[in-house]
Parts: sequence; C-alpha cells; structure tokens
Amino acid sequence: MAEWYVNEGKDNDVVLSTKACIVRNIKGYNFMPRLDDKECKSLLETIDGVIDKDEFMGGVASGFDKETTLRLTRLQILGREASMMADPDRKAFYYNDDASLSIGVGSGEHLTVKAMAQGHDISVYKKAEKVALDLESKLDVAFSETYGFLTSNIKLAGTGLKILYTVALPAISKTEGGIAALTQRVGQYEWQIYPFAERGEIADSGVYIIASVNTLGITEDEVLKRGEMLIADVIKAERACRDEIASNKKEQSADIYGRSYGTLRYAGMISRSEALQALGWLRLYHDYDDSGEIKLSWNTLDKLTMDILWEPGAPSRKSSQSAASQKFRANGIRKILKGDDLS
Amino acid sequence: MRCERCGKELTNRIIKINGITYCENCARLMGYDRFLRDPADLMSNPFSPLDQLATSLMQMSELDFGNSTLTCPKCGMTLREFENEGRVGCIECYNTFNDNIVREMFKQQGNSEYAGRIPAQSADTDAKTEDVPQIKKIAKPNPDAAKAEAPKADAKESAPADAKKSSKDGLTLDQLMKADLGMLSDEELEKGIKVAADAEEYKLASRLRDELKGRKDGGNNG
Repeated sequence: MAEWYVNEGKDNDVVLSTKACIVRNIKGYNFMPRLDDKECKSLLETIDGVIDKDEFMGGVASGFDKETTLRLTRLQILGREASMMADPDRKAFYYNDDASLSIGVGSGEHLTVKAMAQGHDISVYKKAEKVALDLESKLDVAFSETYGFLTSNIKLAGTGLKILYTVALPAISKTEGGIAALTQRVGQYEWQIYPFAERGEIADSGVYIIASVNTLGITEDEVLKRGEMLIADVIKAERACRDEIASNKKEQSADIYGRSYGTLRYAGMISRSEALQALGWLRLYHDYDDSGEIKLSWNTLDKLTMDILWEPGAPSRKSSQSAASQKFRANGIRKILKGDDLS
Repeated sequence: MRCERCGKELTNRIIKINGITYCENCARLMGYDRFLRDPADLMSNPFSPLDQLATSLMQMSELDFGNSTLTCPKCGMTLREFENEGRVGCIECYNTFNDNIVREMFKQQGNSEYAGRIPAQSADTDAKTEDVPQIKKIAKPNPDAAKAEAPKADAKESAPADAKKSSKDGLTLDQLMKADLGMLSDEELEKGIKVAADAEEYKLASRLRDELKGRKDGGNNG
C-alpha cells in the first residue's frame, strides 16, 4: 500500500498535513455512548452493507492483525493509542488504497469520514464530502433543520465538519512570544491551535494542530476559506521567523543544524523529545544551509517527523523513554537518513 | 465557588436550591425569582410574605426543582449526565435537553443557527489551496546599492497595482522594501510599519520596528 504522506505536498516546509473530518449518525440507533452491543453489531452491519468495497478495504477492528493495526496507526487512520484500543468489537475502519480516505465506524460518532493529504491541500474537503454524500444518499442520517447534522458530541452538531492542519513551527516556537501571538491570531479567525502532544507528555515538539471550531452559524465554504486565510498567515509568519533566526544568528544556527543532523544520523539511542527537537532545527535551517554537505529532502523531513509523532511500532508506547524504544527509534531514523544520503 | 449551571464565578449572592448552587442570573432564568427578593421589599408590605408563602406552597408540586433529574424518555440519559459528559445519547435528547443544548452551543460557538448544507447535497464552495509565496532569503545588504535605490520622498509610485499598499503620505510597500532604512524619517518608519503589517510583510515590519526602536533607544543604526 502506498502511503499518502510520502507524496510531495504544497508548503510542506511548514504544513505536514491537511485533514478534513466529517461526522454523521444514523437515525434509528442511539448514539455511541448509549448504544448496546446488539444494536452496535446491527449498526456495523448496516454500514458495512453500504460501503463501496471496490474503493474501500477493512472491517471490524477486532479482526485486524498486529501488523495492520501498526500500519493504520502510522497512516493516521487509527488513533495513536490503537494498540490499546477499547472495544475493538464495536469499531470498524475502512480505507482506500493509499489510506488518504477512510471511514471510521463507532469512534465517537457512528461515522467519521476522513480525508488526508500531505502538506497544504484543502482539496481534502471535497474528497471527504464525496464519500459523505455517498453515505448520506444510502443511509438515513440524523439531521434537523434547526441543528443540522446531529451528533453525540454537541460541539460537532451542525456541519459536523472539522478541518485540521498539522504544522511544524520550530521558528515561531523559538521566537519570544511567538506562540502567544499566533494563538491570538488563530483566535481571531475563531479557530484553535494546540500542541501535538500525548497525554502527560511535554509539548516541546514544535508541532501544532490548527483546527476549525465552529460548526454552527457558518457554512462549510466559510470554514474552508477562513482556514485558507489563516494557514497562509501561519506559513508566512513561520517563514519570516526562520529567516530572522537564520540570518541574525547564522553561525549558531548552522552549528546546531549540523549537530542535529549528526545526532539523528548516528545516534544509537534517542528519545522522542530529542529527535523532535533535532528535526525542528533541521527544518528551521534547511533552506539556509549553503554548505551542500547535508542532503535532506523536505519529504524525508516530513516523513521522519510524522513517523516519530505517530510512532506506532516502538516496542513500548507507554514508556517511550525506555532503552528499547530509544534504540528502535534511532534505528528507524538512521535507516531513513542513510537512504536519503544514498539518493 | 462557581455557578453549577453556567460555570461563572459567584460574586456576592449565592442561591442554593435543592442542593445546586446558582448565580443570581441563572436563578432568575430558572424561575426562582422569589428566592432573590430583597427582605426590605417584604417589610414594606407586611401581608405579602404570607401571600407569597401560600402561593409558593401551591406551586411547589408543579416546580421541577430537580432539573438535573430530567431524563430522556428514549435512551435514559439524564441532564446531569449530559452536563458532565457534554455528549447526548440519542436524537430525542435534542428535544429533551433543548434549552441546555442551545445554551451549551452558544457558550462554545456563539451561535446555534445551522447554516451548512443539507444531507446528500454538496456544499457550494470554490475554496482552493492558495499559493503562499516563498520568502526571499535575506542577502547580506550592500549599503551602496541600497543607497542608490533609496526612494526619494516625492518619488512617483511605479510599483504594480497589487503592491501599492501605501499610506497617505508615506512610502509604498515596494519603496519600503528597497529603502535604506537609515535614510527614512521616524514618521516614515512609523507609517511604514503599518503599511508592512497590513500587507502581512512581517519581516519588513520587524526591520522597520527595530530601526525605529534603535533610534528611540539612542542607538545609531544609520
């Protein structure tokens, strides 16, 4: 299976991915928190009956082997804690060939349609909408003229739409007051920004999620257009901060850039935090390195960043600081960087 | 202490009804006005307390004191569960907890009116991924070249239309980009910062700001 996130995306020096999620529920069934096992089985069967099997593969999550679970986690179809997924009998996942399109059943709402693309690419909305329209034409979805599409989580009632940009902002993060100013800017668009971090983890990766908030009082078109204006601002601001740091502290930046590459390329053990910090510096100074000694494509940088952030295959997801995890991570990074060196 | 209904910090009046703490506003909205009356009002009419007591006692049986026990007839979800979890159990919950849901929606989104598409009908959108121009890497400035290109204060605008975000008396964006900042007046710098910020040229805006700050701090960047 090809991986959607290895494709060359637009503005991928800043935007790691663009995602559109549309949630729907089916009339005649309670929402997930109040759905008993018998009803849930019936729901899974009903939905399975309308999924276009020419386009989508997959099924009930309890039927996935370990390898499939890891692959779908890395491809961001399953949550990062998929290996500890609760009630896999009550969930199903369907995905297309490159896993850029997926339909989740029973994950919070009855249906979650997700379209993902590498870099900055708002066409994901139309792709998700196409799948949602197909399902809406085949199923009796819960809809009210007053509230729009009805959901269990009332924060999603209305359009049931979320647009999410995953962005790497090492330069804004290193600029004093940068994230605070950006948070204010994002709020002006009525969107939100939060760090990409697992529970209990320090949010020091420099990677953030910028997500739409409103599902009522706004059309899908307005959500998309507002998001596009916002992400353009974010990209410009991050690039300006990189330029500022790289030109005003050129020697120090070049030094840390080289050291960061060395650490990633040759470390035998590396923590998640150290790896993400090093990747942040590679990203920040990538376009300013004129030594020509380090050959690293944006795609490789993005793939490494996402692999570490989503890291499904580490021996222990619970203790990512264990020696085995650090060794596993370092091996994976070395392998990818070695490949890039040879290319 | 916070109001258990709206979450606002409680100020000078705390109203506890049936074990639930309300702020004055929520108590009023819930129809518990009689608990809010000033004792002085009652003193002015010595007979009214008795009337009110009788009326209140008669209303007691009709009052839904335990709004938190409101339960969805279809899925059995209670209002308390909805308020704790922020999730409803079925479509019928939207009717059962209508007031609370609308209030939550307002709290979170500032709106509760649906404006999106209807089922099986595509959203009318022409949103496209916009091009974000790459930033030009900063070259080491050549002071001579900069001086040669520094615009004159009365220079006619020659920049393309889309780059002509100029203040009334100040320089255009293009002129600011090419200018030797040391040759600009404080006023031109101040106006320039606004022009650059409006055009989202943050890099330029910060250079102008630094130049101005340097002068105000007594430095000599010229």
